[in-house]
Amino acid sequence: MTLFPPPMRRLALFGAVAMVAAAQQPAVLDTMVRELNRNFSALQEKAKPAPYFIGYEVTDLEQRSITASFGALADNSGSHSRLLDVSVRVGSPKLDNYHVENGDRGSFTSGRGVAVDDTPRALEMRLWGETDRVYRAAVDRLIRLQSNQQVKVAAEDQSDDFSTETPVVHASSPVKFHCDQAGWTGRLRPLSARFAKYPEVLTSTVGVSCRAETHYLATTEGTRLVHGRGYARVVIQAHARAEDGSDLSIDRYFDSGDESGLPGDDAIARAIDRAAADLVALLHAPETEPYTGPAILGGQAAGVFFHEIFGHRVEGERQKDESEGQTFAKSLGKSVLPEFLSVVFDPTRHRFGETELNGWYDYDSEGVPAQKVGVVERGILKGFLLSRSPIREFPHSNGHGRREPGREVYSRQSNLIVEADRTVPDAQLRRMLIDEIKKRGKPYGLFFREVQGGFTNTQRTSLQAFRVMPILVDRVYADGRPDELVRGANIVGTPLASFAGIAAAGDKPEVFNGYCGAASGWLPVSAISPALLVSEIEVEKKPQSKDRPPLLPAPVFHEVAK
Amino acid sequence: MRTWLLTAALAAIGTLAAQPQPAPLDPVLNAMRDEAMRSLDLALPGADKPYFVEYHVDDGETVRIQASYGGLVSRSRSPFRAYTVHVREGSYQFDTSNFLSRGSGVAGFNLTGFPLDPAYDAVRRYLWLSTDQAYKAAVDRLAQKRASMNRATASETLDDFAHATPLVEIAAPRRLQIDEDAWAERVRSLSGVASQYPEIQSSTITFWASAGAFYLVNTEGTEVRTPDSEAALRVWMVAQAPDGMRLRDGITFHAPDPAGLPSEAEMRLRIAAMAENAVGFTKAPKGVEYSGPVLFEGVAGAQILAEVLGHNFTLLRQPVVDQGVNFFAFGNELAGRRGSRILPEWMDAIDDPTATSWHGQTLAGSYPIDREGVAAKPVQLVEKGVLKDYLRTRQVIHGYSNSNGRAQLSNGMLGHTASISNLFVTASQTVPLAELRRKLMEICKERDKAYGIVVRRMDYPSVGTVEEATKLVQSGIGGGALPVSLPVGIFKLYADGHEEQVRGLMFRGLNAKSLKDIVAAGDDSAPFSFAYSAGLFALLDANSPSHPATVVAPSLLVDDLDLKPVEGDLPKLPLTPSPAVARR
Repeated sequence: MTLFPPPMRRLALFGAVAMVAAAQQPAVLDTMVRELNRNFSALQEKAKPAPYFIGYEVTDLEQRSITASFGALADNSGSHSRLLDVSVRVGSPKLDNYHVENGDRGSFTSGRGVAVDDTPRALEMRLWGETDRVYRAAVDRLIRLQSNQQVKVAAEDQSDDFSTETPVVHASSPVKFHCDQAGWTGRLRPLSARFAKYPEVLTSTVGVSCRAETHYLATTEGTRLVHGRGYARVVIQAHARAEDGSDLSIDRYFDSGDESGLPGDDAIARAIDRAAADLVALLHAPETEPYTGPAILGGQAAGVFFHEIFGHRVEGERQKDESEGQTFAKSLGKSVLPEFLSVVFDPTRHRFGETELNGWYDYDSEGVPAQKVGVVERGILKGFLLSRSPIREFPHSNGHGRREPGREVYSRQSNLIVEADRTVPDAQLRRMLIDEIKKRGKPYGLFFREVQGGFTNTQRTSLQAFRVMPILVDRVYADGRPDELVRGANIVGTPLASFAGIAAAGDKPEVFNGYCGAASGWLPVSAISPALLVSEIEVEKKPQSKDRPPLLPAPVFHEVAK
Repeated sequence: MRTWLLTAALAAIGTLAAQPQPAPLDPVLNAMRDEAMRSLDLALPGADKPYFVEYHVDDGETVRIQASYGGLVSRSRSPFRAYTVHVREGSYQFDTSNFLSRGSGVAGFNLTGFPLDPAYDAVRRYLWLSTDQAYKAAVDRLAQKRASMNRATASETLDDFAHATPLVEIAAPRRLQIDEDAWAERVRSLSGVASQYPEIQSSTITFWASAGAFYLVNTEGTEVRTPDSEAALRVWMVAQAPDGMRLRDGITFHAPDPAGLPSEAEMRLRIAAMAENAVGFTKAPKGVEYSGPVLFEGVAGAQILAEVLGHNFTLLRQPVVDQGVNFFAFGNELAGRRGSRILPEWMDAIDDPTATSWHGQTLAGSYPIDREGVAAKPVQLVEKGVLKDYLRTRQVIHGYSNSNGRAQLSNGMLGHTASISNLFVTASQTVPLAELRRKLMEICKERDKAYGIVVRRMDYPSVGTVEEATKLVQSGIGGGALPVSLPVGIFKLYADGHEEQVRGLMFRGLNAKSLKDIVAAGDDSAPFSFAYSAGLFALLDANSPSHPATVVAPSLLVDDLDLKPVEGDLPKLPLTPSPAVARR
């Protein structure tokens, strides 16, 4: 990690990090700090109630997206923006304007655009305007909270609203943005034309997107922080419609922290052909039947499974929110998984084997350093993912307070890693499945090779259910027949029931890189898991579509790029 | 089938005779034509085939730059291509249009990936799937419309779709010519004007320029590729008076291309003038009730005509509505008034999209062919004060079953709403501005009024928020018609010639009828270009569909208008002084 600017490196190595803030922090941080102090002092003097904390975050985002379809360029757009998030706290750390009440924790920040060059006046005016607006909204909410506190029954979890943390002073170099436009447009056109060979494919795209994010943070506690990272992704998508009207899609991704880590044309071409072949196979596959019985979740499928049914439920802030199901709030110290399984969230980890991970970062959105968190140890629930909003028994953040610009911070997942301390080779896992099928007299079991992220409903008012959407599912027969692909299955169920039935784990963990959308916006995450043998999985049919395939035949492709 | 073939052949012959057309080599047009014609064979069991299919494509390149207080906020340049598919089932007499449905159950295909390249195959593929889903939805809609009509008795049966002569007109697309770096620097520099006025709390400039083409192909034989381009620079600012009353003001310069915008020096002057007015606002006293003559000076004359007269030249048609759907539109004041006098008899109004400049100044509302493929021609709307005609599209309305080429504004499921293009409001008798001011004072003296009111700017199109506009409507609705936008540059003119700026007044009951009380017009006609939309106050914040238009009009002296103070709580002032003030 380079420290900025180079001459300061020696001093920084000797720990005199404070020097960086004083003399040579980036101009934008200078302006932020000046305006922060000016607004804070003025409000201390004139405002009643005065804020006890103000924090500014400027997210510098540079991105580009290039997409092609059937040999033609379909999108080439990019932007460079700086987005401002302001946090003002009034009241006290015990009760402030971010206090959660009935699922609502207030929404104040706007993520408004500010100047991307370092023009001080432009940034000052915006900082000032936003601080005033956010301050007023904060006071409004605090007043309402204070009057409600008198009327309503006290919440079970009486934790504070803001934890005490050590301010951080650190400046990395701003992240460099790389995206070879000419190169990618030249490559994506012929690559996307490969789909034209498959008449079953109705629409398809092959695209790349690159992004560089640098975060600048300044708070009245003394945090002065510059950090960031890049993201790059190749996306392959193809769609078809079956005779019975079902819409079928295959999405395949390659993720890296930089465009230099993305695959070459051969690998992308192979992935395109595989995606098309899988889509065609799905088109011809029979529809699933409702099923309850044993199954193997492939590594990626298991990762998504854990992200949805487990990960969201250990987000710290949900534990003290009365409107949430709070499935695990009272399970601390108790067994929540089979004892051979542990679950760790590690945002400090950049790779798993050869694969780069989406969910790593250096500091969270509140300036707390990223930390590895052991949430489940040998089946026992040990902790939660925490932001600076403390929960019972956990008064401090563990660096998982994350947000997208324009949203408020919430405790969110990072890199989820499922670890098994006893494993079997995948071939044996399969034999165990067949044994289980025979034992229970089932005609077949299921093997979930690939899934699409599902969604989870953690709210108290709705069914405590989750749905993970399988893409490639095989029936595994007990009588030695070859595996048979089926389509249209949705895994359903309630979380606690599913966990109890994890019987064994394979020995080859797989990585699922994705984006998770929840309260504080869309965030890059990953989920890593070995294959899992589950004794009871419930599958329902996907809702039927009434629509027919296209009425007229497809127009013929005249030109297919070499 | 045979009928249209004949018509298309005749049309082709017709255009060949007039002007030799090259065979269209445009792959986009070819793909549109081939797929549209084939789509007439779409058929679901038990339903009719479509009787009409039309495709629209808009493509080109856009540059967008935003700056604030001397800092660049964003800058981008990207290509675009968007398309829409229209499928009509039924017949010209009764089809899927003029109907607000609660939605059809048709699930669409995943259609991301419409090409930017001139790729025949890829364009045709996406048109194929879009038409398929549009046809299936049309079959649903027609059934829903029939059911809705059975539930209610119509007061009048009008045809749904007017016939139009097929037109073939292939012109070259416009290429974006722009020195991007120079414009980024210009926009950044102009955004610094606000820095010189510490009373201004926030100010942003947005510049955009796009150029390309509009393509239209339909199964009647119309084939159009027409160049399309637009450039605009928009500035807005916010200021607050000591009691908290907020002023939002904005100015937009429009031209067909960046070269047509005013010079940087002129834009700087006009932005500074707006800033001076804003500063004057913060220092001005609140105005009081007023009833009497008002002089709309300079651009205010055009603004008031644009707002009060503009949309009234369009007749609305009540659609058939599905169960559970509400449709509400404010009535048109000029409906049924054709043949009646609506302006003084020495005034005329002509809408002319074929004009491109006026006295050397660029017009923003020009176009050759509208978005339904109908050639646009000048329309004399008002002659000697008498209303002669309305602006029309291919939607059949009461008393009219032909378009006059005014379909520029999209209205979603209801097709296009007719709108003005370049509206010339002329007076055959005019006087110099000084004389208008003298006349104003004369009327005031006769009525024992200490001062008259001069309005120099209206907030039109409004840069207020949707919330503020709603409050304004609620406080103004008593007048029987919609309120007009706020006068933001408003002055008391005293007998001795001195002026005092005031603030916080709104017009009450200013509507189309009030224009009959125009007493005199100035000799200072000038073009006012703006983003025309059908929304209230042409509110920019509402993000309604809009298009550039121009009104050429003089200063106007109007008698018998009422102004009253704006009501409501005033927002608080910021507790912290502005950085601009703190640094002085």
